[in-house]
Amino acid sequence: MRCGKEIRMEKYMDADKRMTAPEAVGRFVNNGESFVFANCLYSMPLALTHELIRQRKKNLMAFQQGGIEEIDQLILSSVIDRVVMAYNFRAGGPRIVTPLDRAIKEGQVVVEEMTNHTLLSMMKAGAMGYPFLPVLPGIKVTDVVQQKGFLGDQRFAGIKDPFTGRDMLVVKGYNPDFALMHVQRADKAGNGQLWGAMINSKWAALAAKKVILSCEEIVDRDVIMSSPHLTIVPSHKVCAVVHCPWGAHPSEVLGHYDYDFPFRALFFGSCANPDAATMWFDEWVHSVADRQEYIEKYVRKFGRDTLDAFRARPFKSVPADYGSTFSLDWDDQGYSKSMGMTMQEFVAMLDGKGALIDGN
Amino acid sequence: MATKYTIQELIVSRAAKELKDREFVVIGQGIAMAAGVLARKTHAPNAVILTEAGLLGIDPFKVPLHIADPTCTRGFTYSCDMIDIFTTILNQGYVDVTFLGVGQIDRYGNMNSSYLGEPGNYATRMTGAGGAPEFIGYAGRAILTMSGGTFVEKLDYFTSPGYLDGGESRYAAGMPAGSGPSVLITTRGVFKFDKVTKEMYLAGLHPGAALDEIRAEVPWDLKIADHLETTPAPTEEEIAILRNFAPDVTMGRKLQLEVVMKQVFNLLSKGA
Repeated sequence: MRCGKEIRMEKYMDADKRMTAPEAVGRFVNNGESFVFANCLYSMPLALTHELIRQRKKNLMAFQQGGIEEIDQLILSSVIDRVVMAYNFRAGGPRIVTPLDRAIKEGQVVVEEMTNHTLLSMMKAGAMGYPFLPVLPGIKVTDVVQQKGFLGDQRFAGIKDPFTGRDMLVVKGYNPDFALMHVQRADKAGNGQLWGAMINSKWAALAAKKVILSCEEIVDRDVIMSSPHLTIVPSHKVCAVVHCPWGAHPSEVLGHYDYDFPFRALFFGSCANPDAATMWFDEWVHSVADRQEYIEKYVRKFGRDTLDAFRARPFKSVPADYGSTFSLDWDDQGYSKSMGMTMQEFVAMLDGKGALIDGN
Repeated sequence: MATKYTIQELIVSRAAKELKDREFVVIGQGIAMAAGVLARKTHAPNAVILTEAGLLGIDPFKVPLHIADPTCTRGFTYSCDMIDIFTTILNQGYVDVTFLGVGQIDRYGNMNSSYLGEPGNYATRMTGAGGAPEFIGYAGRAILTMSGGTFVEKLDYFTSPGYLDGGESRYAAGMPAGSGPSVLITTRGVFKFDKVTKEMYLAGLHPGAALDEIRAEVPWDLKIADHLETTPAPTEEEIAILRNFAPDVTMGRKLQLEVVMKQVFNLLSKGA
């Protein structure tokens, strides 16, 4: 067994996987594991990310499609030492030294460079249970393919198309130990529903061995049953469901809140020197127990109006109608139009044809 | 007297003219997105904007902070994912054009958006590849803008394929026939690529820009078109659209940083 803890995913619909963020991260995250952010730019699982920091997890390896602040936060708090990434937002121009720049220079973190397409293809291959997947071969001339990082040759390979003999470029499939994910709503079994920018969410969540899911809202299973097209991650992949309003702040969640740019800038500003960064983490991560306390602190500090200004105004999707006649074969009089007989006649027919078994 | 404009407004207005009506265009953020939306609000109302976030047919009401933010998702026609954009849309040839910003570029339009500094001992990690290598590799053509980037003889890191070593080398490496960067718009002028050699040449100057300044920025012996166009100043209509839709882009990154810092200061003073 990998880390001394066996994870048995409860795949049944009657499972209740609701728990707090501290419990979810405490139970399902082990030092040294790999994980993927199953959101990219939008609806970032930042409450769960902060829980990794609060519990001082170590030596994690991150797959990051495209990030804004979370990679810098995990580097500054020494949670990750390896990152496979395609894109990371830079606050300010090339003259500003970011935490990522510093960590690469000092060897605190090693980075494997990928493109959006090829990194997500690693996840898609892993999700489908395939060893590798073809990708667009034009990039094989670039340093993204030519320069190898800590994954070495366990990333790209050239093969021949078995049907045409043409050269192909493939990427290796990966299955991270866990995914962190934030969605609009989920039921207690872990059927998670996301809308808006879908980006990498489906393939990252399905590639991971287990998904730690936080959500703005817990809903009854009936809500999921009436809108299955919105389910991005099914309950059999999910090990924990964390009810966590504002769980993506300062990123955005459609239908709930917009991104909070000044608060974001506050973090990036504090990255300029180590003391300011330490103060930021003390204030917003270590001195609060969870996301609820974080938001309460935000409201105390900046005022409720400041927070309320980011609340979403509605823009409703027209509901899909899953209706049908919902009728059995038998009408009110016990007559089946499709068979042209009553229940009594039906049973008599079965008997008459010798289809009924007398087991006594 | 004509309305005064910022350099970003000039770049956006010039870049927007490269997009034709009814084209499918993949766009990143910032100047590139402002150009795409400006085109849609002027001469190309039926252009279809896609972002790699899995959004097709978006109609952003202000310039997005990133390719998936709520300005992009208030109404769009096709919600797919990032793999779908690169495979079922880009690889199947639906993308006519891509608009992208440039960090470092060489004479054949090869680009770096990953690292600055000495290979093996980089000083700066820029944003990284994102979707640029495949979009520049496989879109029908690429419209490039550069404000703050540099021309170099040799890239510090080779992120995205332009015309490789020039001539037919790009197509020999497997990229679609006819694809590649078609124009680069900088803070001083407009550059295009020779039809045969694929080397970049200066095709036009912005109002007030001097040839010497451009030569000083380009480390190789830059070829110059026989007739240099002068970039038209943005019209009043274009300026009005941009200041409403994309004030962040209009003011440029430096001023934007000042404005943001002032906002942060305001936030902190609420907490005092």
